[in-house]
Amino acid sequence: MPDDRRPVYHRVLAPVRTPPSTTPALEARSLGIASSTSTGGVSLQAVDWTVDTGELWVVAGAQGAGKTALLETLAGLIPAAAGEVRVFGRRVDASGDDDAGLRETRRRLGLVFDGSGRLFSALSVAENILLPWCYHQNRSHDEALREFEPLIGYLQLESILSRKPASLSRSWSRRVALARSLVLEPSLLLLDNPLAGLDAVHLRWWRGFLAEALAGHPLLGGQPLTIVTTADAVRPYVGLDPRFALVASGHWRILSNIEAVLAATGEEGFRDLTEPRP
Amino acid sequence: MEATPPPLRNAGAGEDSDGGLRWLGALLGEWRSLTRLGAFILITLATAARRHRDNSEVMRPQVMGEIHRCGVRLLPIISFLGVILGVVFVGQTVSLMEQFGAGNFTGTFIVTVFLREMVPMIAGLLVLARVGTASVVELGTARALGEVEALEALGIDPIHYLVVPRVIGFAVAVVSLSAYLILIALGSGYLFAYARGLKASPIEFFTQIASAMSALDFPLWVLKTLLFGALTGWVICYQGLARPMTLEEVGPATTRTVAVCVVGCLMIDALFITVYLLL
Repeated sequence: MPDDRRPVYHRVLAPVRTPPSTTPALEARSLGIASSTSTGGVSLQAVDWTVDTGELWVVAGAQGAGKTALLETLAGLIPAAAGEVRVFGRRVDASGDDDAGLRETRRRLGLVFDGSGRLFSALSVAENILLPWCYHQNRSHDEALREFEPLIGYLQLESILSRKPASLSRSWSRRVALARSLVLEPSLLLLDNPLAGLDAVHLRWWRGFLAEALAGHPLLGGQPLTIVTTADAVRPYVGLDPRFALVASGHWRILSNIEAVLAATGEEGFRDLTEPRP
Repeated sequence: MEATPPPLRNAGAGEDSDGGLRWLGALLGEWRSLTRLGAFILITLATAARRHRDNSEVMRPQVMGEIHRCGVRLLPIISFLGVILGVVFVGQTVSLMEQFGAGNFTGTFIVTVFLREMVPMIAGLLVLARVGTASVVELGTARALGEVEALEALGIDPIHYLVVPRVIGFAVAVVSLSAYLILIALGSGYLFAYARGLKASPIEFFTQIASAMSALDFPLWVLKTLLFGALTGWVICYQGLARPMTLEEVGPATTRTVAVCVVGCLMIDALFITVYLLL
């Protein structure tokens, strides 16, 4: 009994993540993103992209430019209109032959949805966070709660664990959604516009989180995470040294740093990203 | 002037063929949604069979929760309904048949009409109305808010996590509530008839009913109530989850569920009447 009640930190203290390999975390070849508004339409085309492990990428573009659809395609939730996606060298859009392997690959990838993060409204915050781990590891809620006490503390969610998502502000919901994807220890994190509409306190926390996750935090497995985030404003990412991709009018453009983005758009800011100047 | 009549005739002909086409289209649409429901049922069965042991720490509470929601929580209203049905239907039937000197047929009558037909239908409809409608709204809202995609993104199979427990919950609930309803209704019916001057002892009364049943009645009855419950669960999950949905569509999906469930249960009923007639 005492053994059962002892918090289980082994996973945290001794990360089992495999060392970074030469395989890129994410590869897109001639990828076409299906439009979410019109059937058969394409919102983004000819995405050729390689994301190496440990990199932070910011995909910037106006609302409706296809950023969310891009992330959902990368996560294998919606089929690509053209081309292919590989996550850690394995196609995520292939169906059929090896279901288990495909699920395993998808599980190495964590997707945090935009807005309130699409939490399960029928479950409490704690159940939301721990459900994926309980389901995949076949463990009880209490075990999971002990296991992830440190992570929940790190995300500052202890005080809201028993609340329902409907009673949370959007900023906190989004952090709960982040926690929910982190419990599966993803190697690649896809964040859909995580910094949109945050107040200064939340913004500071998220920037701190991104920096620590990129450096490799012991609670997140110790190894540097690969992070792809979308944004409608690039300013909040300055200082995190990301690489940029611009999405505008159905086109995909890769830029090496913030200076290149500013040079391309003339000025900083979201509206200017919609129409990059030649 | 001369050019006017032909377009009129054409318009008339066009309307007719349009009406016919629309009718055909509606029929085709119904057939398509029926085949889709069939496919959905098969997928659920395959998932349940393949993964019945997986993720038990999460799935067992999920299944128990559904059984509790569809079954245990309906016990008070089913008890109330059982007493009322016992008095107005069983009690009156028994005492009337006694008065007409047809007491020998009471058992056959109650088994054929009440046990086989009325009880499964009443229990099924009650579960549908009390829990089913709420479930469609819950699932439809989750679908509309993208929670189902969130499940998929986390590697959780929505069919396994959302549909299988509901189908099991509804099936178990309708079977158990039907059995419970029968016990309550027969008990209160006997008491009512006894108060109205029935001579038979409780043992004689229940023996008469039991002897009016055949051995096949039990498996057929369980199968029928099981199908009522499972079909309700399937239709609810299908209407709530199977298609992309917006929040405005949740209401219509709920009313459609009720209609489809009632028609579906009546069709199962008709099927069972044929089976009973053949036996």
